Amino acid sequence: MLKEVLKVIKDSKYISKANIAKELNTTEDVIEQVFSELNRMGYIKEDKTINCNMKCDGCSFSSLCNKVPINTIIITEKGKKLLGKSL
Amino acid sequence: MNTIALVGNPNSGKTTLFNALTGSNQRVGNWPGVTVEKKEGSIKFKDKQYTIIDLPGAYSLGSFSEDEVVARDFILKGNPDVVINVVDATNIERNLYLTIQLLEMGAKVVVALNMIDEAKAKKIEIDINTLSQKLGVPIVPTIASKRKGIEELVSKAIELMEKDVDYKAHISYGESIDKEIENIKKVLSSFDLDYPADWIAVKVLEGDPYVLSKLEKDYNLSKSTLLKDLAEKEEDLELEVIDKRYEYINNITREAVKLPDEHIETLSDKIDKVITHKFLALPIFGLIMFIVFQLTFAIGEDFLGGYIGGLIEILGSGIENILISFNAPDWLISFFTEGIVGGIGTVLEFVPLIVVLYMLMGILEDSGYMARAAYIMDNIMRALGLHGKSFISMIIGFGCNVPGVMSTRTLENKKDRMISILINPFMSCGARIQIYLVFISAFFPDSGGLVLFSLYFLGILVALIMAKIFSKTLFKGESSYFIMELPPYRMPTIRNVLRNMWDNVSEFLVRAGTVIFFVVSILWVLAMLPVGVEAYSQESILGKIGTLIAPIFVPAGYGTWQAAVGLFSGIAAKEAVVAILGMVYAGVEEGSALVNAIQSAFTPLSAVSFMVMTLLYTPCAATLGAIKKETGSLKWTAFSALYSFAIAWLVSVLVYQVGSAIGLG
Repeated sequence: MLKEVLKVIKDSKYISKANIAKELNTTEDVIEQVFSELNRMGYIKEDKTINCNMKCDGCSFSSLCNKVPINTIIITEKGKKLLGKSL
Repeated sequence: MNTIALVGNPNSGKTTLFNALTGSNQRVGNWPGVTVEKKEGSIKFKDKQYTIIDLPGAYSLGSFSEDEVVARDFILKGNPDVVINVVDATNIERNLYLTIQLLEMGAKVVVALNMIDEAKAKKIEIDINTLSQKLGVPIVPTIASKRKGIEELVSKAIELMEKDVDYKAHISYGESIDKEIENIKKVLSSFDLDYPADWIAVKVLEGDPYVLSKLEKDYNLSKSTLLKDLAEKEEDLELEVIDKRYEYINNITREAVKLPDEHIETLSDKIDKVITHKFLALPIFGLIMFIVFQLTFAIGEDFLGGYIGGLIEILGSGIENILISFNAPDWLISFFTEGIVGGIGTVLEFVPLIVVLYMLMGILEDSGYMARAAYIMDNIMRALGLHGKSFISMIIGFGCNVPGVMSTRTLENKKDRMISILINPFMSCGARIQIYLVFISAFFPDSGGLVLFSLYFLGILVALIMAKIFSKTLFKGESSYFIMELPPYRMPTIRNVLRNMWDNVSEFLVRAGTVIFFVVSILWVLAMLPVGVEAYSQESILGKIGTLIAPIFVPAGYGTWQAAVGLFSGIAAKEAVVAILGMVYAGVEEGSALVNAIQSAFTPLSAVSFMVMTLLYTPCAATLGAIKKETGSLKWTAFSALYSFAIAWLVSVLVYQVGSAIGLG
């Protein structure tokens, strides 16, 4: 499952967890969990837009941050290496 | 007293079941040495008393959180006589991951298949007998919130408690891993271990830091001494083990669980086929933005416009009357009525338009369209050899360039970051809208949407061109590749849209009350000095500064000291430009006076040229501060300030000169 998800990510133009779940005949919750495992193990890097180290409290721009709910995923070198082995 | 432990994923209904089982017989404390809450209770069944322990909710039993370690330690050290694993029947596949880990530990498990009513409502068909047979554990359907199935669950748990059976899951992790597990078990067999050897073997392969550290400390065993055949594949062993668990679960659920047929194309899929279409995507994006700007004017100006102007006029007169009644000096009356009320009031008059614009943008964001817009632009960015994520920071920059610049932190390589930082100020932030609105009101009242759309488009175009130039000159190298997640479309909620609008408008209002107040106050003083000169005249200090700068802007068609002073103030804060133009052009008390003054001082062509200048020129002080912070370089900050001014000047002059040459002047 994890390797299959990684391969789907690699072959996708964009990611839709619902579509991946459909493709792999499972549920979106499982795909969510698989993404989180792949992220934890360092095969992908999930990115939730702004990740500044400042505290939002007291930042005059906090209300303008993270307005666009866009998550992006990068396949790390470790992930690419695994894909290379699997293919 | 025998002990029953409750284990389950968060939100599986575990705590509801615990409450249903124990009622008021509960005690709450902490697990020793950690801050994790320990809930304990008791039940009486067939005249016998049992202790119930509610273990912390967890998705797995690794060692990545205190909750997980507490739960697995309690089970492994043999504390519970039986474990009730609460499984959410509506999300069975994900929940079974924990079940499998419990079985790997050799725990005696009874599955409480909870929320079975909700699963039925969602048309999830579960063959409980097959599931029970495949997992090798008893399964009792429950609805903890309605206390259904509780009696049978307890009965099954106690029945199992009294049996001497091995319920260990027999998962094959593949030939090579199975063999390695046996190898490790052989080594471990000579030690007296706290945990089951086969569980430790699997954890060694997974690289569980807690288990590895314990083996090292207590038995002087390291991972490298335990791994034999698979030592070279060490890096991916954890993934292989987890993968096999999911495969095992998938094989079980394929036979025992039937999900409702979701293989039909969803509405999101259908919409995306058009919205993200290779050729249609960009025209649709352009059309949507054009409609947004048209609606902004249609609703914001035609329906709501004018009210705030009237209120400000009343406020200005009120303050003036009060100050006169207190015999206040003329300069103080001038400061409040012309400086503060006039300056800030001019800015506030455009609040209705800003409210409508941000409301419409909020609808796009909340519906999931903005993610598509970023995706569409991502393709273009990649075609230009740039990082697609730059466009996300550009979208953020439409609100305000400061968070736009800060959002570039998520870009990994320096090339992508530097380019994204340098092009972000070309994104037309909210503060610049009011400058356009003044000029649109003066010269293009019937085509405001088109003008606004063109300016935003020009900002994006210049940013893309500059990004391409930078990537070919100053910052060469490969961009990192990423894939964007597109969330499903959803109906925008009034709450989210209004909150989004309020976040932006309140930010605007706060800045109007602080930054603009500060800048306007300073510039008012400069407009009044030296003592004796006519206020807001060319002889004032402000007028002299403007006169000094003005010649630069002659080729662009607005070489007046007033226009120069307006642009100068915009480097402090873009919101101040309109306020200052109001002061120097009209000493305004209301917006229409400024619009009239602008009509006399500019032509339609020089107005366009001025708007282009304000769109592209030097970022405000706050953005420059953010650039300094993000680049860590004064040199790049100065470069950003100067190159954007040069680009703005060039484009502005080009617009005016070409326009004049073809007779538009």
